[in-house]
Amino acid sequence: MADVTTADQLDDSVVSEPLDLVRLSLSERVFVKLKGDREIRGTLHGYDSHCNLVLSEVEETVYVMDDDSDVLKTIKKQSEMLFVRGDAVVLISPPQRT
Amino acid sequence: MSSAASPGSPSPEAPSNNPSAFLSQITGAKVSVKLNSGVEYRGDLQCVDGYMNIALEQTEEYVEGELKNKYGDVFVRGNNVLYIGVE
Repeated sequence: MADVTTADQLDDSVVSEPLDLVRLSLSERVFVKLKGDREIRGTLHGYDSHCNLVLSEVEETVYVMDDDSDVLKTIKKQSEMLFVRGDAVVLISPPQRT
Repeated sequence: MSSAASPGSPSPEAPSNNPSAFLSQITGAKVSVKLNSGVEYRGDLQCVDGYMNIALEQTEEYVEGELKNKYGDVFVRGNNVLYIGVE
């Protein structure tokens, strides 16, 4: 059986493999969940098949349990430019598309 | 791996005995994806690849059974996946 490339697959706004979702988010603000209760929001500049990411104007939120009071604390950090190693990535959510 | 339907092979509707064929069969269905961390994502399965990376639509995030977040689209990196269940 010959492989047929359909018009749908040629359309660059169609998601035919999961990483297409990431491709469609290039130069958009994305939300990324990382291992170790960390979340980042930033503008996506690049990615590869390992989910290594390059982001700019990044806000990182770290959730830590305070030892004494058992209260969940959030620590915020800002970075201008960030490379994220793919193996730390759990989830990537693009901005809402219409 | 032969994908051509040969005589005696199960019909497309029959539950597949091949896990990756099963995954391609359930694209478009409502699924729940449980991660190793215990967090669960429920949404419409857009597609899956060979790494078990997953794209979901209309996704809800459940932590300990409680709805915590909603996302339009979600990409889940395959190494975090524990199971994918059809709702």
